[in-house]
Amino acid sequence: MLNLFTLVLQIAVVLAVCRLVGELFLRIHQPRVVGEMFAGIMLGPSLLGWVAPHFSAYLFPPASLGFLNALSQVGVVIFMFLVGLGINPRELKKEGHAAVLTSHVSITAPFVLASVLALYLYPRLSDDSVAFSSFALFMGAAMSITAFPVLARILAERNMLGSRLGTVAIACAAVDDVTGWCILAYIVVLIRSAHSSTSIWMTIAGIIVFALAMIHGVRRLLTGFERVYRRKGAISENLMALMLLLVLASSLFTEFLGIHLLFGAFLMGAIMPKEHQFVRYVLDRFETITVTLLLPLFFAFTGLRTNIGLVKSPEMWMYCGLIILVATVGKLGGSTLASWLSGMPLREAAGLGTLMNTRGLMELVILNIGLDIGVISPALFSMMVLMALVTTFMTTPLLRLICAKELEESSAANKILTRPNPTPQMSLEDSESYVA
Amino acid sequence: MSRTNRNFVIAYVVLVGLPLAGLAGVLRAGRSLAAPISVDGTWKVEADTSRVGPAPCSQAITALSNSSLLISQSGKSLILTFSDGPRSVSAGVLNGRTMSAPLMLEPSSGSGCMAAQAMTLVAAVDEQAEPRTLSGSFSLNDCPSCGPITFRAVRLPRAKKDGGH
Repeated sequence: MLNLFTLVLQIAVVLAVCRLVGELFLRIHQPRVVGEMFAGIMLGPSLLGWVAPHFSAYLFPPASLGFLNALSQVGVVIFMFLVGLGINPRELKKEGHAAVLTSHVSITAPFVLASVLALYLYPRLSDDSVAFSSFALFMGAAMSITAFPVLARILAERNMLGSRLGTVAIACAAVDDVTGWCILAYIVVLIRSAHSSTSIWMTIAGIIVFALAMIHGVRRLLTGFERVYRRKGAISENLMALMLLLVLASSLFTEFLGIHLLFGAFLMGAIMPKEHQFVRYVLDRFETITVTLLLPLFFAFTGLRTNIGLVKSPEMWMYCGLIILVATVGKLGGSTLASWLSGMPLREAAGLGTLMNTRGLMELVILNIGLDIGVISPALFSMMVLMALVTTFMTTPLLRLICAKELEESSAANKILTRPNPTPQMSLEDSESYVA
Repeated sequence: MSRTNRNFVIAYVVLVGLPLAGLAGVLRAGRSLAAPISVDGTWKVEADTSRVGPAPCSQAITALSNSSLLISQSGKSLILTFSDGPRSVSAGVLNGRTMSAPLMLEPSSGSGCMAAQAMTLVAAVDEQAEPRTLSGSFSLNDCPSCGPITFRAVRLPRAKKDGGH
C-alpha cells in the first residue's frame, strides 16, 4: 500500500542530495548530470545502505520502491521523447562521408570489442538462463551508446556546437543513439519472445508496421503542431496535452508489441518536426519538471539497484577495469581512428573520440532495461554503472587536455561575436538542462 | 568512382564490414560457452524441523525452514536473503550444481539464540526439475551434537522479470 509520507520524504531527500552533489560537481567543472548520477549511487546500498543500514531501510523500504520506480519511469519516458526530439538525422547528411564513417565505426568498434569481452565475462558473470547471443549483443549495445544529451551540453558549454568538431560529434551521437536503440529493441524482443507465446516474427512484423506507420503517417500529422507554433508563436495547453498523450500512446503501443515503453517515446520524439525554434519551445515546456524532479528519482532508483559491494574481490575489480578499458578503447579509440582516417587532424579526431565516449544518463537507461529483462546480473549492472560514471566523468578533463587550442579559439571567437551586443552565454554552470 | 569515394569504400569495408564479420564469428564461438546454472529468483523453503530439537537458535531455524529465500545471482556469486523469517543476508557461492553459503543468526527476541550462531547452508540444484529445486541442509557450526537440518526448496515462477535474473 502507498505510504504517502515515505514517498514524499524519499522525493525530498533525493532532490536535496541530487541538487547538492550536482552543485559540487559543477564546481569541479563536471556536468551536473554526473553529480546527480553519483548522488543516486550515494543513496543506494553502496554508501547509505552500507554506512547507515537502518536509516536506509527506513527511508527506502523495499515495499515503497515500486512507487518511486513508477514516478522515475514517467520521467524517463518524457526524457526519451525529448532526446528523440533533439535528434535530427539530416545533420549527418550535411557532414558527408567523414561523419558516416566515424559514426558507424564508433558503433562497430565498441560493439565488437564488447562482444569479444563477453566471451570472457559470460561464464563468470552470467548464468544459463541467458543465451550468449543476448548477453553479447546487449554488452555491445550498452558499450556503443553515446549520451547525446550530455554531449550536446558539454559542447554548448564549451561554445563548440557550431565548430566542425561539434557538428560531427552531434551527428555521430545521433546515429549512435538511433542504432543503439534499434539493436536494444531487437535484444528485448529476442529475450521476451523466448518467454512469450507470440512468435518473434509476429512481434518483429508488428514493430516494423508500427514504425512505418509512425514515420510515414503520424509524422505528417505532427507537422500540425509546428504549423500552429509558426502561426501563433506558442502552443496551447490543450495541444501540449495532446502531444503528451501521443507520447504515452506510442509508449504503450511499443510495450504492447513486446519491446519497451521507452522505444515508443523515443520514436515519437524522433519523428516530431525538427524546426529549431519549435524544438526549443517544446523542450522548454517539458524540460524543467523532468530534469529537476523526475530524473533525479531515476538516478536514485538506479543507485538503489547499484551495489558496488557486489564488486568485492580483486577478480571482480579486474572485470570492472576490463569493462572500462574496453568501453574506452572501443569508443574513444574507434571514433578517433575513423575520423583521423577521414581526414580530420589527429588532435581534433581525439577530441571527437573523447566526446563520443560520453555515456551518461543514456547508459543508465539502457542498463536498467538490461537488468529488468534479466540479461545482465546485479554485479555486472554495478560494474557497467561504474563504467558509465567513469567514461562520462573523464570527458571534460580529457577534452580540455586534448583540445585546449580549439577550446581557446572557440571561446575567443565567441567573445568577438558577442562583444557588440553582449548576451549571456549558455554555460553549464547556469543551465539546468542536460536534455539538449 | 572518384578516388575519395574509393578510399571511403575501402575504409568502410575495413573498419565496419570486417568487424561485423568478426562479430558473427564471436557469436558463433560463444554458443559453446557454458555459464553457471541459474539459481536466481525466489525459492520457497521447506525444512524437516523435526530434528531441530533443543539446538541453539531453534526458533530461528524453525522460522527459516518455512521462509522465502531470495537469491540474487552474478555468475558463481550469490547473495541469499531469507525474507519471511529472521532477516538474514549472506554471500554464497555456486560450484557446479552445489551451492554453499555461511549464515549468521543474530540473537533477538523470539530467535532462541543466546549469542550469534553461525550456520552453513549446502544444497544441490536439480537443473532437470521444472521448476528447479534445491535439496540440502543447514548445519550449525560449533555444535557437534546437532545434526544437519535437511530442507528442500522450489523456485517460484518469476513475477516481473522477462528473461532471466
